[in-house]
Amino acid sequence: MSGAFRKNMKWALIYLFLIIASLISVFPLYWAFVSAFNNTQQILGGSMIPHGDLLTNIHNLMDQAAVLTAFKNSTVNTLLVLVLSLTVCSIAGYGFEIYHDKWKDRVMGILMLSMMVPFVAILVPMFQMFSGMGLMNKAMGFVLPSISTPFLIMLFRSNARAFPKEIIEAARIDGLNEVQIFVRMFIPTMRPTYAAAATITFMNTWNAYLWPRVIMKSNEAITMPMLVSNLMGGYVIDYGVVMAGVTICTLPTVIIFFFLQKSFTEAIAGSVK
Amino acid sequence: MKKILSMLLVVVMLLGLGAAAFAAEDGKITIWTWDPKFNIAAMNIAADMYHVDHPDVEIEVQEVLSDDIEQNVATAATAGDLSTLPDIMLCQDNSFQKMVTNYPEVYTDLTDLYDFEGFGPAKQAYSIIDGRHYGIPFDAGTVVGAYRTDYLEQAGYTIDDLKDITWDRLIEIGKDVKEKTGYPMFSGQAGSVDAIMIMLQSCGASMFNEDGSVNLKDNEPLKEVVADYMAMVEAGVFVEVNSWDEYIGTLSNGSVVGTFNGCWILATILSLDDQAGKWDITNMPKLANAEGATNYSNNGGSSWAITQGTDVDLAVDFMQMYRNVEFYNAILPTTSAIATFSPAKEGEAYSAPSEFFNGTPIFATILEFGEQVPSNITGAYYYDARNAVSTAVTNAMNGGDIDAELATAEDTVNFAMGF
Repeated sequence: MSGAFRKNMKWALIYLFLIIASLISVFPLYWAFVSAFNNTQQILGGSMIPHGDLLTNIHNLMDQAAVLTAFKNSTVNTLLVLVLSLTVCSIAGYGFEIYHDKWKDRVMGILMLSMMVPFVAILVPMFQMFSGMGLMNKAMGFVLPSISTPFLIMLFRSNARAFPKEIIEAARIDGLNEVQIFVRMFIPTMRPTYAAAATITFMNTWNAYLWPRVIMKSNEAITMPMLVSNLMGGYVIDYGVVMAGVTICTLPTVIIFFFLQKSFTEAIAGSVK
Repeated sequence: MKKILSMLLVVVMLLGLGAAAFAAEDGKITIWTWDPKFNIAAMNIAADMYHVDHPDVEIEVQEVLSDDIEQNVATAATAGDLSTLPDIMLCQDNSFQKMVTNYPEVYTDLTDLYDFEGFGPAKQAYSIIDGRHYGIPFDAGTVVGAYRTDYLEQAGYTIDDLKDITWDRLIEIGKDVKEKTGYPMFSGQAGSVDAIMIMLQSCGASMFNEDGSVNLKDNEPLKEVVADYMAMVEAGVFVEVNSWDEYIGTLSNGSVVGTFNGCWILATILSLDDQAGKWDITNMPKLANAEGATNYSNNGGSSWAITQGTDVDLAVDFMQMYRNVEFYNAILPTTSAIATFSPAKEGEAYSAPSEFFNGTPIFATILEFGEQVPSNITGAYYYDARNAVSTAVTNAMNGGDIDAELATAEDTVNFAMGF
């Protein structure tokens, strides 16, 4: 009896701790969403319940900032990066694991080392290159630096390790060529890894700020995070409008994460179905 | 991250990658500025007015935040590719000297190209480097003392009791008002030293000497300012809050009697519809002992710079709009951007009384205040000095000795300057 009671107590404490921890992590998001329904005075007064100002805030936001342009730009840029980087990095990760070459671990080492270099260190030379190539204000200027990332290559490589070699051999015997093996065998098996990579890439690209700030100068090239930060740049800040902007900017990430979270946790844990 | 960036920029600069390509001549004026309701709105009105006589000139106003403008100038200058910069850009007055000193190849010397007659001398001083003009003054950061007259009345005071007074008198009144109403006089962000910088400039003192050397250790006016500030905080007359948002919050929820800040704070106060008619403005208190003490100072504001390149003549011609009284009258109602061009106060928009502020013609009043602001020296290391003073004040408030703290602050800034 007392053993079962102690066990229940233990679980109750664990759940209590987890509930408190989740409340703390969700709270900022909750406050941002609720504040999108409130006006500046209610927000500064610390109101935690929604009032009826959502439409006014959205109307003012539309008035003040090019939300549609920014949303469209962010969507286009993010989709381009998603498709290109998932393709390039998965092929690279697959290649690194499946094919053999005595230099491949050194090349991988160099790739890993490049993760250590902070982005600001390469900002000026990158700017020089991209401005020289005429890619300022272009979606390609935004996309190119994010196509190949060491982290994604590493993720695909380590997950490809669990991909059964027997499948590849059997497929070769059945007459599939290397490209067909990758497309028909590897991609479907690795769906959770792709989902995880997509989630990470989506979040990083959608929220990218420093690089777009440097190369996207014209009003037509503005992205959502830039738009939100512009809302905070004035002498008078309308916090209701800012929070409406933050909500619109955050929603896509939240939605993507809800859909892909199961695969995300699976791939990070490294399992293959 | 900013530190790493600036260090790298210096390294790259030393490597001499500075062969500059200038902004292209294209008969089009590109402008970088921030705040759609303020600077951008003003520039769009200027563009509309300019188009009346110059219908063919294309003018594009791009929204870029002030920090990003500085970063983009740094990136472009270090990369030696000025073609990515606009023809005209706005620069915070406090950063102007730093930017021109660090990137002289970016900014056009306007001394012989533009007529600066009529702009307030203190305002002009922000963008004069080695006697040469680099900036066309725009909005004023003239300091006003704004007070809730309803709270003052409850304690038996009027706005006139706060006019032309010293900080000592302010503390007396503040204690009395707090006792009778429960509200502290002022609020401010702890560690931001806005208030201290405002008080320091009000007597024409600076954190630097004329020759650019640091002046913190034996700066008597600064010591008086810090002493007054600490006395206010200790007496509960000035309440320190943790963030800018909280500071705005104290005004919007009416938990302080007033504030003293750059006149742009009035735009925030004006947005508090439920407090209409409860406010009035006057000048700020002055230092009791410092030489040259006045009731006037400045905080914030910015000026336009023109980048070197081939569209300079066109840009200068367009910027004549900023010598046009009609222009200032046109932007005032929509933006509340207060000019530093004295003739503008003759305009109708300026002399109109403000219902919100008990019928005081606030804009003309502020322009008059602006003419009496003493100028100060900002220099390229203004923000280093500001941060050092902030640390010194925080330590002094926690029981440190202010003389020793300011001596340390001076060493810190000297170190940043490479001495």
